[in-house]
Amino acid sequence: MLRRLLLTLASLCLAANAAVAQGKPTLTVYTYGSFAGKYGPGKTVKERFEATCGCELSWVTAEDAGSLVGRLRLEGADTKADVVLGLDVNLAAEARALNVFARHGVEVKDLSLPIAWSDDTFVPFDWGYYAFVYDADKLPNPPKSLKELVESPNGPKVVLQDPRTSAPGLGLLLWMQKVYGDKAGEAWAQMKPRIVTFTKGWSEAYGLFLKGEADMVMSYTTSPAYHIAVEKKNNYKAAIFQEGHYLHVEIAGMTRTTKQPELARKFMAFVLSEPFQSAMPEGNWMMPAKAPAAGLPTAFKDLAQPQKALLFTPEDVQQNRRAFTDVWLNATAR
Amino acid sequence: MRGKLPHPGSLVAFALLALVAGGFVALAAIGGERPTLLSIGPYLWRVLAFSIVQAALSTLLSLALGLALALALARRRFPGRGMVLALLGTTMVIPTIVAVFAVFAVYGRSGWAAEIAALLGWNNSFSIFGYPGILIAHVFLNGPFVARILLDALSLVPAEHWRLASAFGFSPAHVFRHLDWPVLRAELPGLAGLVFLLCFKSFAIVLALGGGPSRSTLEVAIYEALKIDLDFGRAAWLSLIQLAICLTLTGVLNWAFTRPPTAHTVRGLIRRPDARSGALQLLDAVILTAAALFIAPLAFSLLSGLNDIPDVVDADLLRAFATSMTIAVIAAMIACLLALALASAARRWRVTLRSPRVAAFYDFLPNTLLAVPPFALTAGLFLILRRFVDPSAAGIILLPLINGLAAMPFAYRSLAPRLLTAEERYGRVAASLGVIGANKLMIMDWPLIRRPLGAAFALAMALSFGDFGIIALFGGQDLVTLPYLLFERLGSYRLDEAAAIGLFIVLVAFTLAHMSGRLSHAGD
Repeated sequence: MLRRLLLTLASLCLAANAAVAQGKPTLTVYTYGSFAGKYGPGKTVKERFEATCGCELSWVTAEDAGSLVGRLRLEGADTKADVVLGLDVNLAAEARALNVFARHGVEVKDLSLPIAWSDDTFVPFDWGYYAFVYDADKLPNPPKSLKELVESPNGPKVVLQDPRTSAPGLGLLLWMQKVYGDKAGEAWAQMKPRIVTFTKGWSEAYGLFLKGEADMVMSYTTSPAYHIAVEKKNNYKAAIFQEGHYLHVEIAGMTRTTKQPELARKFMAFVLSEPFQSAMPEGNWMMPAKAPAAGLPTAFKDLAQPQKALLFTPEDVQQNRRAFTDVWLNATAR
Repeated sequence: MRGKLPHPGSLVAFALLALVAGGFVALAAIGGERPTLLSIGPYLWRVLAFSIVQAALSTLLSLALGLALALALARRRFPGRGMVLALLGTTMVIPTIVAVFAVFAVYGRSGWAAEIAALLGWNNSFSIFGYPGILIAHVFLNGPFVARILLDALSLVPAEHWRLASAFGFSPAHVFRHLDWPVLRAELPGLAGLVFLLCFKSFAIVLALGGGPSRSTLEVAIYEALKIDLDFGRAAWLSLIQLAICLTLTGVLNWAFTRPPTAHTVRGLIRRPDARSGALQLLDAVILTAAALFIAPLAFSLLSGLNDIPDVVDADLLRAFATSMTIAVIAAMIACLLALALASAARRWRVTLRSPRVAAFYDFLPNTLLAVPPFALTAGLFLILRRFVDPSAAGIILLPLINGLAAMPFAYRSLAPRLLTAEERYGRVAASLGVIGANKLMIMDWPLIRRPLGAAFALAMALSFGDFGIIALFGGQDLVTLPYLLFERLGSYRLDEAAAIGLFIVLVAFTLAHMSGRLSHAGD
């Protein structure tokens, strides 16, 4: 029994190195769980990249973007990652400070991002706007602006994520700061009676919303595309706010310690190529960083589009996150 | 007599302390930073005060439910009782996110309770956020477990005591005072400590059901330091505060109520004389109905995943199942071996060396492992391991190890009392015959601990099976466990499939709990 168990474990370890034994180089890419999972774009990306690189692509996953950075911090220069895919631009400054990443050397141009991109360490691979998603059958007149949501005393109830533990939670924290500036604390206090709860992560909040615990949930403008394309439901919509929407950009970087710099660079360029980008919309339910030549899938074409993108620089986020969080805590933790 | 070789239990105790301390130091000193000792500001005070109050309330209620339920179940026999007992042993293993959804399915704005209330014409919107929600979830997860452990303990009352009680014509009050209470009193402090630690560290439940950031635990701050701030020194420091508080509280509990040596002898299936009392029949009916009304809806809400089970059974799921099983078996072996070593050391101090205070130290040591935030311990141990092994292999080593350490306190609870029983029954004979060391274990202890060991093994497996904490950091293509798969599906909007996987995990845990129950309830 014990022997068999040890053998199983050993074979698990060996499976990772099997490709090396076959003589093909292996490119190890760290990403978050749902990217490489059954419904994520990981399988497609792997097939398409392997078709061109003469190598083996191996996904190594952590739960989410935060865990990825935490793991890199722990592994430091010993990391086996050649490329890290799926960091959140809001945590880019922290990731850069780890001194693990190298310059990507990819020519980043013709992006379909709503902002200009000039970072030489990270390449954006997909993006979306944060938005409040609602069920149009139950909420026929959603708020038209963040201010309306915050300030109407009888407005819809919302379920949010905790900015201390989740990326969308941090996104809303920054969004409120962009719109309200120094008055953010008062705005949080004003909205507080209609906040159902702050969950640990996106999944709990979205689940609560779908189960009818709240009228709106903090999510992405692209969320309705999933319901349209997979469930054939058209009633879920993202509310478009006049002030503009905070931007969520997912980024990739190659490590400076990689033993396969050629392959890693090749992959970084591949990230912005058609075969990778066309897998993003219906694989990752996000907008591609570079619009595919064939255009977006139908479910995405009809999505409401915000007029204005809001974004702090990663350095601003790093400097002010603690202060913003304290404002939020003081206003809501009564 | 024993030569100079230290007792294996002492070695284990030392190794555990070294492991925990080493993890902390490694975490605090990463990258040559000087750990900044931060002051506990008003924010942390609030968090601490809330953590302690909610954990204390959760513990009290869980113990109350568990105690009432255990006594009622001990007195009654009914068809399906075995299934009920297995269910009691399962709730603790339910992944927290599944438990959160269960609470909402029953008590939420559109939950069953609200629907029934609406049918009856009550329309005042009841909100479960805050203490109600947190306490419901914690009591649902821990109360049944308390009942399960207490029930096992109650069934250890020696058969000859029952015969005496019958002969003397004990009233129900006498039975409680002289037979049940001594056993319960021996179990309660340790159990209270366990439940308190679990609730003190509770995290996703407190955030989701607390309704606001004023209701958060220290574990949230530790998580934030590790995953968002990347300030590992702060994480280590916060973990240390958590460790100190948990250990002080459980230590005081253990110190104040040193476990009295309990007499366990031959067990048989006993007809309790108090089962015929009319007042108790009524009381038990009330308790069992109330408990069923509380536990059953939450448990049945999990069955909503049933429809989607066919959709999720695929190669991925089977592979994840095999991985989870492998990890669970290794973790259970680690948990049982460590628990056995510590328990035999505790026994030696208590009986042979007559030093119950030192024995109490061993009893209390397993709690240390529960008080350490698993995330921080994993990170710290990883930093140590990294020097010796490849980082990609470190996850494979750490996963069963940390799960085993987390399950060890539970294994200890079921093994330690039985080892003591063996000593009380046969200790003197064995000593006079010169049976020591491994021989003593095989000849004297084995027949008595065989079944509880099996039960502890199954429980430890179940606990490891539902664990998600560590896999968040060290999962991967080669290390996909069932809880990991659950989160992956959630991240892809597949909430129904996640519910099915959650149910699958619960069913496996139920099977394990059932096996464990059959083992621990069989006669000697």
